[in-house]
Amino acid sequence: MDIIPQLIVNSIIAGAIYTMVALGFNLIYGTVKFFDLGYGALTAVGGYAVFWLYKILGFDLYLSIILGTAMAGIVGFLVYKLVYAPLRSRKSSSMVMLVASLGAFTALQALVAILFTSQFQTLSRAAGAEKVFNLFGGVITETQLVILVLGIAVMLGMAALLKYTLFGKAVKAVGDDEEVAKIVGINTGKVVGWVFVIGSAIAGLAGILVGFDTGIEPTMGLSLLLKGVIAAIIGGIGNVYGGVLGAFFLGFIENFGIWQISGEWKDAIAFAVLIVFLLFRPQGILKR
Amino acid sequence: MEYLIHIAILISIYAILGLALNLVVGFTGLLSITQAAFYGIGAYVTAILLTSTGMNFFMALFVGVVITAVASLAIGFVLSKFKDDYYALGSFGFNIIIYSVFLNWQSLTRGPLGIPGIARPTLFGFTFSDNISFLLLAIIFAITVYLICSYITKSSFGRVLKAIREDEEAIKVFGYHTLWYKLAVFVIGAALAAVAGGLFASYITFIDPSTFTLTESIFILAIIILGGLANNKGAVLGAVALIILPEILRFVGFPSDIAAQMRQVTYGVILILLMLYRPQGLVGEYRL
Repeated sequence: MDIIPQLIVNSIIAGAIYTMVALGFNLIYGTVKFFDLGYGALTAVGGYAVFWLYKILGFDLYLSIILGTAMAGIVGFLVYKLVYAPLRSRKSSSMVMLVASLGAFTALQALVAILFTSQFQTLSRAAGAEKVFNLFGGVITETQLVILVLGIAVMLGMAALLKYTLFGKAVKAVGDDEEVAKIVGINTGKVVGWVFVIGSAIAGLAGILVGFDTGIEPTMGLSLLLKGVIAAIIGGIGNVYGGVLGAFFLGFIENFGIWQISGEWKDAIAFAVLIVFLLFRPQGILKR
Repeated sequence: MEYLIHIAILISIYAILGLALNLVVGFTGLLSITQAAFYGIGAYVTAILLTSTGMNFFMALFVGVVITAVASLAIGFVLSKFKDDYYALGSFGFNIIIYSVFLNWQSLTRGPLGIPGIARPTLFGFTFSDNISFLLLAIIFAITVYLICSYITKSSFGRVLKAIREDEEAIKVFGYHTLWYKLAVFVIGAALAAVAGGLFASYITFIDPSTFTLTESIFILAIIILGGLANNKGAVLGAVALIILPEILRFVGFPSDIAAQMRQVTYGVILILLMLYRPQGLVGEYRL
């Protein structure tokens, strides 16, 4: 097995996961203009919902995934309703929102740990016995192939949703100027609520897929969230295609980076990339 | 009794961390979430010097403070390019990078194994080996830090910091080189955190990277936001409240792993409630 093709395959898979996280994050940030860090904990919510339904209650695989994704969406919506909506109606600064979302993140993550213990779990029932495909000399598992396909599907779905539907136009309008959007008759509260549902559901889906690929633990959200945020920022925050570009860029840099130095440095590499971007190209690869 | 002394020592250490962070977040308005990194550098340098060279504690602590100051100067310089929520995000990144260094620079820090057998401080032949005498030492340090902080905040230097927080452009027009002020206060805040780190290392006599995570930085931030930003008494008050509060949970009778998670839930919910109902904290003079 050659190392380069495998690295490329790994980078693409990482890129697909980061794409999902970045897309959901971007959707929320683009609409409400603050860093929603609580978003990270929703990956664990999705992952553990599936763990509970699929492995403990013995539900059907696809049904569990759909319900798990929905569960993340609902929890995200509740956090919005209980925390962000009152703060937004008070016109709180983005720093207040950031601190509140830190609180939501810490509390949600710990709640998941209380319900399911902090132990590392894997979602897949047939761990280690998965079908494996060869791709240009690199190895890719069935799960990873699904991740790739879903990543692309979410990207295309999001692009279509924002571009061709009335809802997408409303989202853009709210993101551009909420007051004006209200004046022309858009129910902004409803639109923002749905943005949180959709964004959170995507985060949940990403968490579920990570759970099938490697595994879940309550603290998984932070690392995924940060990768998503970094991908969104280096791609050009608020820009859908930029987020995708940033995600794959990050996936490649990380995986080729740990080829040269040890794997534990992954997070540090990702942040070093972010800081370099913020210093030299703060608007990201693609401007909004 | 031994237990109460332990709590009092922890309060002294976190009061130092809170006071130091308050200079940066409360008085200067820079939302830094990387205090645990400097706390950690101070702890590691002190611990390494104590275990490998047998140097006197106070000498080792001094070296720890100097090294932390140099590191924070570099980090502060990079961060000074950012504003508001990007500043917070960048500081996040440095916490994760420094944590990775503790975890991965194994030849120096022994990585996840941590450093055991750190000696208690010795002064003129007297060893602070029992906890009562250590508490005395910790309180003396805390009071000294408190006096330093109240001197700084009452001085003309402190007034410039507040001016930067309120309107950086305006104070620039008056000819103040704001970059130097921001760097200076950042370095002071980090150096004082390193003092707390050294104290912590020699008190527990063991350190490992898990103490200096992002969660710890969020905890220190919660201390000053609860106590009140831009108020030195508030930082101490916050440390007292947030150290004692979770101890009550312990007496309610939760098992220890759940109690640890309940603490996180408590911090998270406190942050959210404060942002919703009292963003200036208990006695704060500035709101985010």
